[in-house]
Amino acid sequence: MSNGTNHDTELFENLKLELRRGCLIVAVLAQLRAEQYGYTLRKALADDGLAIDEGTLYPLLRRLETQGLLVSQWREEDKRNKRFYRLSPVGEQILEQLLDEWKSINASLDRILQEAGRI
Amino acid sequence: MNSSVSRNPQELLDRYLQAVRFWLPRTSRQEDVLAELGEDLRSQIDEKETELGRSLNQDEVSSILKRCGSPMMVAGRLGPKRHLIGPTLFPIYAFVLKMVLLWILVPVFVFIIGPVNLANAGGEWGPAVATTLANLWFALFIAAGIITLVFAIVERTSVHLGEECKWDPLKLPPVRTHERKTSFAKSACELIFGLFGLVWLLLLPHYPFMILGPAAAFLKAAPIWHTFYIPILLLALVGLLRSAITLARPEWTAFPLWSHLLQNVLTFAVLSFLINAAHGSNGAWQPFLLPDNAASNSTHYMQAAGFVNLSILLGLAGTWLGLCIASVIQVWQLLMYLRKRISGAHQPATLAH
Repeated sequence: MSNGTNHDTELFENLKLELRRGCLIVAVLAQLRAEQYGYTLRKALADDGLAIDEGTLYPLLRRLETQGLLVSQWREEDKRNKRFYRLSPVGEQILEQLLDEWKSINASLDRILQEAGRI
Repeated sequence: MNSSVSRNPQELLDRYLQAVRFWLPRTSRQEDVLAELGEDLRSQIDEKETELGRSLNQDEVSSILKRCGSPMMVAGRLGPKRHLIGPTLFPIYAFVLKMVLLWILVPVFVFIIGPVNLANAGGEWGPAVATTLANLWFALFIAAGIITLVFAIVERTSVHLGEECKWDPLKLPPVRTHERKTSFAKSACELIFGLFGLVWLLLLPHYPFMILGPAAAFLKAAPIWHTFYIPILLLALVGLLRSAITLARPEWTAFPLWSHLLQNVLTFAVLSFLINAAHGSNGAWQPFLLPDNAASNSTHYMQAAGFVNLSILLGLAGTWLGLCIASVIQVWQLLMYLRKRISGAHQPATLAH
């Protein structure tokens, strides 16, 4: 019985992770319309309900930078070196497209759920 | 506040970053990754200190580091994603590993090395089985290690076949209904292994150690093989031809079925003649292997040869039985295929079954 519950929990966690993965990219890109460094970005996402750990955020930031969606720069602030990230011009375009796609998916999902509710 | 206490939390953070550095691959980004992680952790410490209105003690810093994760785990998540053998090569790697370990090494140890060890142990089964198992374990370990190393090098150097880019949808075979599809990978592997097998067979008369291993020092092939070597070679050629045709003409879906059956029947015939020839007209079993001239006077080597001959005879009998069963199954598969083919001829073709 407990094995079944553990399996269900694990399955749910895996599916949640898959669902969050794409959303996190959009959230990170949207947050970086204004320049931020890693810690403040993590805090801002957590405050808005999308907590993300260091091990997930920093590889994601590096990947998005390699893909040309972000630009970064090491700069001193409060006597400490911090790496600041912001959206690149390409990133801005891609973000707009992703947000359109997100709205379209959301609308489709709403329709599907409403139709399923009627049945 | 005592100065040693206020210094400790920073020292703890430095020790943590040093431990993460140990596990991170030494790439140009290593320092970058560490600096960013260090900055994040310092910001967390700063925020907690602002919230409490005092410096954090070692335990409080320790709990922040614990929440972040063990150095090895953090390095694993922050470092570049790597695998020893990637998903593209893995199916071929698994296939080669299975072929070499299960279908080459295990039979060689069961039919050749095992009987030799039994003879060396003076007919005592316990020590012979223990020695064979120990040797087999060592050989499996070394073979698996070498195969893994070769595939890891291929993966690292990115020497891939590039099948993904080369394939052309226009060259795909036409759609056939109710027919058994022949996998390209399976046919290609059969052809490659068939070629290796043929080369191995051709080299055997000159390099008997390729089948006898260390026993080649005191054993040699008996005259019976002079009669059956050419038929066995022809059987290997038939198998190779069959694999080549299956690969070149995947749309001939009936061909693999009947050609495999034909090959099995031919093998069955050769094997029956071989066993009959070995039995001899006087009722005594003829040997498959004989002690070398230098070893022919030694009782020990004669005993070893006896064990090896017995295991070869048992192996041939087992293969004969296996071929009988396989042939029955193949006849049944061929009949099922023909029945489907005949019933399919009266129905319209469709992709959805």
